[in-house]
Amino acid sequence: MSREKLRQLGIDLPILPTTSVGSFPKPDYLMKARSEFAKGKITREQLEESEKRATEFWIRKQEELDVDVLVDGEMYRGDMVAYFSEHIAGFEQGGLVRSYGNRYYHKPIITSEVRWQGPITVDWWKYAQSLTQRPVKGMLTGPYTVMDWSFNEAYPDRKAACFALAGEIRKEVQALVEAGAKIIQIDEPATSVRPEELPMAIEAMRIVTEGLNAYFLTHICYGAFENIYPQMLKFPVDNFDLEMSNSGLDMLELFKKDPYTKDISFGVVDVHSHVIEEEPVVEQRLRAALAVIPRENVWVDPDCGLKTRSVEEAIAKMKVTVRAAKALRN
Amino acid sequence: MELKLANHSSYPRIGDNPEGQLLRRTIALREKGEKTDADLRAAEDRMTELALAEQDEAGLDVVTDGQIRWYDPVSHLAGKLAGIRINGLLRFFDTNFYFRQPVVEGKIERRQPLIVDEFKFARSKTARAVKPVLTGPYTLARLSLAKDAGTVQVAKLAEAYAGTLADEVAALAEAGATLIQVDEPAILKHADDFALFKSGVEALAARKKNAQLMLAFYFGDVAPLYPRLQSLPVDALCLDFTYSPNLPGVIAADGSSKTLALGLIDGRNTRLEKADVLAREIEEVAAGIQSGSAYLTPSCGLEYLPRDRAQLKLKHLTTVRNTFLGKGQ
Repeated sequence: MSREKLRQLGIDLPILPTTSVGSFPKPDYLMKARSEFAKGKITREQLEESEKRATEFWIRKQEELDVDVLVDGEMYRGDMVAYFSEHIAGFEQGGLVRSYGNRYYHKPIITSEVRWQGPITVDWWKYAQSLTQRPVKGMLTGPYTVMDWSFNEAYPDRKAACFALAGEIRKEVQALVEAGAKIIQIDEPATSVRPEELPMAIEAMRIVTEGLNAYFLTHICYGAFENIYPQMLKFPVDNFDLEMSNSGLDMLELFKKDPYTKDISFGVVDVHSHVIEEEPVVEQRLRAALAVIPRENVWVDPDCGLKTRSVEEAIAKMKVTVRAAKALRN
Repeated sequence: MELKLANHSSYPRIGDNPEGQLLRRTIALREKGEKTDADLRAAEDRMTELALAEQDEAGLDVVTDGQIRWYDPVSHLAGKLAGIRINGLLRFFDTNFYFRQPVVEGKIERRQPLIVDEFKFARSKTARAVKPVLTGPYTLARLSLAKDAGTVQVAKLAEAYAGTLADEVAALAEAGATLIQVDEPAILKHADDFALFKSGVEALAARKKNAQLMLAFYFGDVAPLYPRLQSLPVDALCLDFTYSPNLPGVIAADGSSKTLALGLIDGRNTRLEKADVLAREIEEVAAGIQSGSAYLTPSCGLEYLPRDRAQLKLKHLTTVRNTFLGKGQ
C-alpha cells in the first residue's frame, strides 16, 4: 500500500530499503566551531560553514555506504526540542533542569502563543538534497513531544498547547512539501510515556499531516510500547520507525497478537552501545522481523539517532545495517 | 485552620549563575580524578546550604535538605543497601528524569544509616523544622528488578525494603526528626497492590516513635485511593492536586482525620498559579480537615524546575497563604 504511495511520489525503493533515524555524530571540527560560536569567537556564518561541511560529509558517507533514504544528519541541531523552540515564536529558553546523574539541559518554556515564523529546516533539507540524487528525509520533532518536553505557561492545558503546536508545525511540513520533500519524518519519542494521552498525540499528528502529499514516518522510542499497541496504529503515518534491538525484539511478540498494519523502519542495531554488532546478529534480527511482518513493508535502520556514538562507530553501525539488508534482499 | 508552608522534597542542585555550577563542576572534575571525595562532599554541603537558605528566604515553616546529594530518588537509598547492584537508566514515572534501577541479587540489608547524616547536617544549618524524606518500600520494590519476575517478586522486595526502611525511620526519629516523609507514588498506578503497600506502611509506622509520619503521593490521580488512605496508620498525607481535578470535592465530602499537605502548587510546570483560585480550593478542603491543621506545599519535588522558577514557586506559597487568610497579596 505504502509502496504504491511512494511510487506515486516518484520514489522507487528496493526491497528492504535502508535508512537511518536522523542524527549522526558531529565531527570534531564542528564541535569546536559550536563551542567557539557559543563563546562569541566566530560568527554565525563561520559556524554554518562547518555545519555545511559536516552535512556534506554525512551525505557522501551515506552514499558510499549505499543507504537508500538519506538524512542530513542534523549537524545544525543541538537538542531535538530546543532547536524547534528556538525557531518558533512563543518560547523562552528556561534555566537548567537535571535529566539524570550529573546531566542537565535547558528546558524551553512556552510563554505566549506559539507561531511559525517561516521555514526552519527547509534550507537544510534543500542543501542536503542538492548534494545527492537519492531521496533525503525531511526531519521534524512532533507537536506532542515539543509540548511534553517544554513548560507551558501560555495555554490552559497540555492538549491546548499540543494542538496549537500541531497547527504551527504543519506549516513547516507544508513548506517542506512545497520545497519538494517527498519523505518526511515527524519524531514523537515522548508518545509512549502517558498512554492515556495517545489519542491527543494521534490527533496532533492528524493536524500536522492531513491532506499533505508526502510519505510520513514517525519515530517513537523509550519503550513501554505494550501500553500503546495496537492503538498506536491509528497514527496517520505510513511508517513507524521503532527501536527494536534495544528491547530484545519484544515488540514482535505484540505484533504476533495484533497484526502490524503499516510500514516499519526496523531498528537492527543498538545505538546506546559502543559494540558494533556482528553481521549474523543483525541478519538474525532482521529475519525475526520478516517472520512477522511482510517483506514489502520492512525498512531497515538503527534503533535511534546515532549522534551519541563516535563518527567511526556510527559508520560501522550503518555499514552492518546496510550489509544485513542487502544479504536478505535475495 | 492552621496552614503551614512546607517544601516537598527535592530542590534544584544546579543554578544558572556561576555558584549554581559548583556541584556539577566538582562531580565532573572528581570523575577525572582532579578533585577528591572531600571536595565533592564540600560541594554537596555548600549546595545544601544554598537550598536551605532559599527555603529560609521564602519563609517556609518546614524545609528539606533538597536531596542535593541524591543521584536519584531510587538508587540513592537502594545503593547503600547490601544485596543490591545499581544498574542502567530508566525513566522516573512520566518525567524526563531518569533513575538507575536497583537489581536485587541477594538478601537486602541495611548495614549503615541511609540519610541520617544528611538530616543532621541540614538541621545544623537552619533554625526551621527539617523534614527528612525517604522513598517508600512499595515504590522502591516496583522500580527494582529481581531475578524471578512477577508479582511474587514485588511482594518479596517490598517486604525486604520495608524492613530496612523501618530501621531508617527509627534512626531518624532517634536523631530528632519530628516529621518524616515517605514517598509512595507507585501505588497510584497499582491500586490492586494496596494490601501489600499497606503492610509496608505499617512496618514503618511501628518504628516511628515520637515522630510524625507523612506519606506522599504524586504523578497520578490520588482521588480514587483517598478513602483507603485514611485507614493507614500515619499522621499525615501529602497529596498532588495537579493530576486530580476531583480531589478537593472528595476531601470536602469525605473529610480527613489526618493532617493534609496540600500539593496545590505545581512542581512540574513553571507557570505561577492564580492565588485566589488556590485559596478557594484550600477553603473547600479546609472544612473537611478535622485535625485543624494542614500544610501548603508543591505537588512534588521541585527538581523538575529550573532554580529561578523553583524559588518563585516557594515564594508563591506565602502569597497563596496570605490570600487564603484574607491578607491579600
